[in-house]
Amino acid sequence: MAFIPSGEERDVRRVKRVAVDGAPLSYIVTLAAVATALAIVPLSVVVGSGKSFPLSQGVYPLVGWLLGPVAGALANGVGALIGVFVAPHTTTLPLATVLGAAVGGLAAGVMRGSGKRRWWWQPLALFFAALYGIYAGQALIRNGVAWYAVLLGSLIDWSALLLFVMPTRVWFAQWMLSTDPKSVALGLFCGTWTIAGLTHLTASSVIYIFSNWPNEVWLAMAPLAPLEHVIRAAVGAIIGVGVILGLRATGLVKPEHANF
Amino acid sequence: MGMQSHVPVYSHPRAVAVARLDAVSYWYPGGREPVLKDISLRVRRGEFLGLVGPTGAGKTTLCLALMGIVPQFYGGRFFGRATVAGLDTLEHPISALAKHVGIVFEDPETQLTATSIENEIAFALENLKVPREEIIARIPRVLEAVRLEGTEKKHPHELSGGQKQRLAIAAALALQPDLLILDEPTSQLDPLGSQEVFATVRELNEALGVTIVMASHAAEEMAEFTDRVALLAQGRLVKTGAPGEMYGDVEFLHEHALRPPQVAETFYMINNYGVGVAQIPVRLDAGIAQLSALKNEHAVVIASATGLPTGRESTTPPLLSVQNLHHRYGDGAHALRGVSLEVREGEYVLIIGQNGAGKSTLVKHFLKLLEPTEGKVLVSGTDTRELTVSGLARRIGYVAQNPDNQIFNTTVGDEVAFALKNLGHSAEEVEARTVESLEAMGLLEVRERHPLALPKGDRARVVIAAILAMKPEIIIFDEPTTGQDYRGAKYILEISRKLHEMGKTVIVITHHLYLMPDYAERVIVMGKGTKLLDAPIRQAFHDIDLLASTYLAPPQAVFLAQSLREDDLGEACLLLTPKEVAAHVAGKPLGCIA
Repeated sequence: MAFIPSGEERDVRRVKRVAVDGAPLSYIVTLAAVATALAIVPLSVVVGSGKSFPLSQGVYPLVGWLLGPVAGALANGVGALIGVFVAPHTTTLPLATVLGAAVGGLAAGVMRGSGKRRWWWQPLALFFAALYGIYAGQALIRNGVAWYAVLLGSLIDWSALLLFVMPTRVWFAQWMLSTDPKSVALGLFCGTWTIAGLTHLTASSVIYIFSNWPNEVWLAMAPLAPLEHVIRAAVGAIIGVGVILGLRATGLVKPEHANF
Repeated sequence: MGMQSHVPVYSHPRAVAVARLDAVSYWYPGGREPVLKDISLRVRRGEFLGLVGPTGAGKTTLCLALMGIVPQFYGGRFFGRATVAGLDTLEHPISALAKHVGIVFEDPETQLTATSIENEIAFALENLKVPREEIIARIPRVLEAVRLEGTEKKHPHELSGGQKQRLAIAAALALQPDLLILDEPTSQLDPLGSQEVFATVRELNEALGVTIVMASHAAEEMAEFTDRVALLAQGRLVKTGAPGEMYGDVEFLHEHALRPPQVAETFYMINNYGVGVAQIPVRLDAGIAQLSALKNEHAVVIASATGLPTGRESTTPPLLSVQNLHHRYGDGAHALRGVSLEVREGEYVLIIGQNGAGKSTLVKHFLKLLEPTEGKVLVSGTDTRELTVSGLARRIGYVAQNPDNQIFNTTVGDEVAFALKNLGHSAEEVEARTVESLEAMGLLEVRERHPLALPKGDRARVVIAAILAMKPEIIIFDEPTTGQDYRGAKYILEISRKLHEMGKTVIVITHHLYLMPDYAERVIVMGKGTKLLDAPIRQAFHDIDLLASTYLAPPQAVFLAQSLREDDLGEACLLLTPKEVAAHVAGKPLGCIA
């Protein structure tokens, strides 16, 4: 028989938790620390700079899905900013690193927005399209790079932009909500390809203003960039599946705009 | 006691309730069942109230409700009324309640955040805007109260487990609370740390009049120290009473899956043998006195027959052989000093000793997680220097104290299959061994569940199943019963028994000596990096002075047995359990090992 309490029901007022856009501050701090820690681990070389891409690039999208767009951007931004100081070997240009990380969290968080947030992806898509225009335009017009070299060398950037603009954006986010770990992994892989690509686009656009790498570098990037991008996506999928399934199982409080 | 002159003494009439719960019921958010059901309880000012009950009874939730954390932090549905120092816990913010209630949790490691002891104590006071001068004045007072004076500048991590918990108590005490709540404060501590905490709390209660509410599974200590005990079961307050009344009702405790103090259990059994016991004692000194009186009154004959189990004498070659083992850590600490021992196939060995005695260092050498500074370790006659860690991991399974640290897969099945796949077994072999191991541990039904979604006892079984799947010859349990209630601890030890019966060699490290007579055959006592004793369990547990030298105390039944020896027997009778002692007192001995 169901228990019927004899005492009167009380109005429960929750203490105000310190939260940013529905994500507890403790979660933001934790994931910022994860981003910083992974910034120390080199993933791949940055052609012509003597620097490395950090492993954290694989988890910037995940942070957005775990925390939502605003808190995700904040956690990534803070994590990347600290990473600039503790891991200078993986920082090509501090501004690009921090901006790319923050934008990655934001873009991941808006992939499957509801209510008014349903449209948040649109200004971001315009922003990324403008960045790509500046990035590719600078290569074609100012540096005289061949169009096919730009197209091949920026495959991960324009493919990410297309996947973000098309309904695939929502599909990937929905797959992550599945109870089937394989679907979650697929959603994370494709989603990380998309969002990490946009992070790359943001960072590269800024870096290219100063670096202006020539045709040869664009061609060298053509086979290398997709390969390392697959690794980023795999990192996001491998870490993400464990984290998401674990979070679901442990029943920790879910941030308001999380996607898992 | 210096503390009496420095720390304010709480002198209030006992009848005044410092905390009241009236028909409190509570559901966690999303919870189907209430965790607290119509709890009505008064906590009298100046009393030491013990909260007992099996895991899941609602003890922690009740503690949190007295602090306002439930429901203000967790949310959920709350019925009834809870007040502390006259403040309704739903109408006043937690920060206001924190001035009246201090709380100390189970794990000292998770409570300490500052980089010095004085900063740790100052932290809560600063948050409550206590003036700086007052903070500076309170710090030495509370450190003296918990006997940590002079440690102000130390880092909390320089302290032992018991000292850390006392620091957490000091930090709570600095708030000068009306009520100090301790939720399982000794479950993570070794016997020395546990003694320190109980002694400190008793002193705070008796000398300063601090009102204490303590939840604990430590039956012997709760019977010894508390004024009153409240028993919770499945969210209900089943009964409150004096320790003698509560712990003396052994059948009632058994009904609620609680362990009585061994002295109470012994006299309960004596009573069952038909020897009239007017009142079942719950404290050891009372038990010893009553035993003496009982014998005089009833002329009880203590028999001295032989026949108690002594453990097997094995003649097989040693599976593990440690020869003059020394280990020095990088910081120069000499953790092992010339330890030599042998473990033979099929033995069940208990390794005991205080924290820092060298138990874990020794066991890590079996697994080659540490290498000898001097001496050697042989596994089946081969020096571990010639073996690989992965090779040893196949032969020696290790169940760590916290099973969660060994779990990283997303399903129970994957967790068990993980190592097998990495060892290169075929898919069919992996599947067969996984199923076999899951079946042996009764986990087949939860194969697709996330391991972390299972209760702690079951998570330990997942780790054991994963180890079992590798078919190791030796299985090491490192503090398997820490943090478990009696039922959970027995459950894990029954698994160890099952593995032993399957022919595995079992090595257990534990501080819970009272649990082990039914399982272990041989005991290795460690102290300050040396092997103090290697003997059958009966002999080891009766060497009280030697155990005391490494800050251990045998179960109460041993003390009772020794009191029999002093009074009556005239010969060594190494009884170990309440059952054996009771049988002897009743003249129906199970046997006697002289």
